[in-house]
Amino acid sequence: MAVIVKKVELTWLDRTYVWPVMKGMGITFQHFLKQLFTPTAKRYTIQYPDMKKEMPAGYRGLHELKRFEDGAIKCVACFMCQEACPARCISIEAEEFSDLNITQGFEEKRPAVFKIDMLRCIYCGMCEEACPKDAIWLRNDYEVAAYDRLSMQFGKWDLMNTYAEADGKDSLGQDPTPSVPRRTIAM
Amino acid sequence: MDKLASMLHMTPAIFWMVVKVVIVFAGVMSLAAVWTWVERRGSAMIQDRIGPNRARLFGRWPILGLAQIAADGIKFFFKEDLVPTDANKRLFWLAPFLAFVPALMGFAVIPFGKSFVSGGQTYHLALLDPGNGMGMLYPLAIGGMAVYGVLVAAWSSNNKWSILGGMRASAAMVSYEIGLSLAVISIFMTTGGYDPSEVISAQGHLPWAWNIVRQPLGFIVFFTCMFAETNRLPFDFAEGESEIVAGFNTEYGSMKYSLLALAEYSHLMTASALIATLYFGGWQVPFVKDPTVMLSVASFLLKMLFFAWVFVWIRWTVPRFRYDQLMHLGWKVMLPLSMANLIFHAWRMSQGH
Amino acid sequence: MFITFALITLLGALGMLLQKNVIMAGLCMVATFFGVAGLFVLLANPVAAALQIIVYTGAILVLVLFVIMMLNSHEEEKAQAPRPIQRWVSLALVAALAFGSVKLVLASSGLKALGESGAAVPQAMTLQKVGTALFADHLLGFEVAGFLLLAAMIGAVALTKRNL
Repeated sequence: MAVIVKKVELTWLDRTYVWPVMKGMGITFQHFLKQLFTPTAKRYTIQYPDMKKEMPAGYRGLHELKRFEDGAIKCVACFMCQEACPARCISIEAEEFSDLNITQGFEEKRPAVFKIDMLRCIYCGMCEEACPKDAIWLRNDYEVAAYDRLSMQFGKWDLMNTYAEADGKDSLGQDPTPSVPRRTIAM
Repeated sequence: MDKLASMLHMTPAIFWMVVKVVIVFAGVMSLAAVWTWVERRGSAMIQDRIGPNRARLFGRWPILGLAQIAADGIKFFFKEDLVPTDANKRLFWLAPFLAFVPALMGFAVIPFGKSFVSGGQTYHLALLDPGNGMGMLYPLAIGGMAVYGVLVAAWSSNNKWSILGGMRASAAMVSYEIGLSLAVISIFMTTGGYDPSEVISAQGHLPWAWNIVRQPLGFIVFFTCMFAETNRLPFDFAEGESEIVAGFNTEYGSMKYSLLALAEYSHLMTASALIATLYFGGWQVPFVKDPTVMLSVASFLLKMLFFAWVFVWIRWTVPRFRYDQLMHLGWKVMLPLSMANLIFHAWRMSQGH
Repeated sequence: MFITFALITLLGALGMLLQKNVIMAGLCMVATFFGVAGLFVLLANPVAAALQIIVYTGAILVLVLFVIMMLNSHEEEKAQAPRPIQRWVSLALVAALAFGSVKLVLASSGLKALGESGAAVPQAMTLQKVGTALFADHLLGFEVAGFLLLAAMIGAVALTKRNL
């Protein structure tokens, strides 16, 4: 199939070359003035360290391990995320704990170690999809960088505190003693 | 002025000469440096970007990113000075100077302000006093020398891209020089003199008596040829990222590259000063018959900087020509146009205008 | 000043002869032309100096260098077998020429007049004077030269363009 290219007939004014150049200069100058009188905040450029882009709602950034209102981890160490992870960057070690004084011997499970290798993670969000308890979320922080490889191994406490500052919560250092049965807390 | 001269044990004439040299060279060089910033910020604004604005003076005052110039300078000074193995070492060293010196020297005859009398002595605001016999021929001659910087830089780096860029640029410069000279000659004719001060005084203070109104065709030719002479876009055939990498300065780095870049901007300054002098009445202030010295200097500076800005502005508007288009334009359009301009003005003069 | 420019001229010429690299020789020639232009200025003829730079250094030598680079003779010429006889003969010839010319200049009447009365301060040459000289005093010669150049140009075009 042949495409017939329309030949543009130039007027004599266009042929002089001077007039089209002046038109072009007019356009560029309009842009110049527009940019000059636009306040910095409204320009197209986001001046990164000073200004940050608002990430869209579905953005998959740095992970957060969610917690209950009393601060206990939501994760039940079911290993679903570890299985779902295509990059195999999650490694979990489970432990049992009992909130004996409340549920009379009801044993629960939680991760003792929950490690994500951020150098391996591809931020695909599969772990989030797989989690039955909505305990792991990928949120909007995209500044995941460090000076050495070891700092990129995020442990359980790192992951639980990733958004603590942004959400105005306390950083946690240890599992709190459960005060209410898990089942009674709304998800 | 005289007191200061006698304090330094110099005659006023020599003292004035030294002052002028310092003012002109320092002025042109610092303007050239500032224009690298103007080019970057201006191009950014034209393209809806922001441009370099993060460098800060002493890490504190951003001043619109002007500190970028100093930062660039420091960076260039401390970079490793590489010379390619197979380059011709001597010429490789010489080339930046060959490019830089003519670019600065061209400014010497241009009067950047009104002459004034002080203590029974006339002070001219130009490095070479009027009546030196060289007149406007001097910038033309020096402009012609600028080819060597490009040519030698290109050849000595022993690089195919460099040499291609150098050849293209030098061919363009040489062929556009003819149209340029013819355009200038028609100004000599209508002025009846070829000294820049004569050219300026012949134009007077009324804007409609300036050469831009009298010879619009000549102005277009001259202006276009100036782009080829200064190697600026749309005629920057010395470079060309899409075809020949960085052209003649592909192999250059550190301070040598910086000199080549500075040469380009000094050239731009000289070219815009020439345009202001020849076609826009030099230091004449519009509608002011007898301006003060400072006013005339300000007027000249304003005109010069405006044209320097036009150079930048056009660079970010018009794309690069193809080489054969350039040669076509130079020989088949610009040369006949300037000839026609010359003949037209000769005819008008013979009619007694 | 005279000594400086004369030295530039002579050193440039010498360098041009002795350089084995063609480009370097060409650049030495540029230096020579510059020296000559400086000498013109000293002789109160800035117009000739400007034209010298515009025409010779600005155009002709650029073209010469252009062609040399185009042919890309990057290698330096190999030294040929020494030719002692030719060398001595040429040296003798140059010496004889130099001696003869110096003697001629010294014997000329103009120099004697100069020695007696001192040099007159020359009038500075301007473009206007050059124009008058060309178009009033030497009009015929100028036109003939122009005609000759035109003929040469047409000839060059005819020679290079095969299919007219």
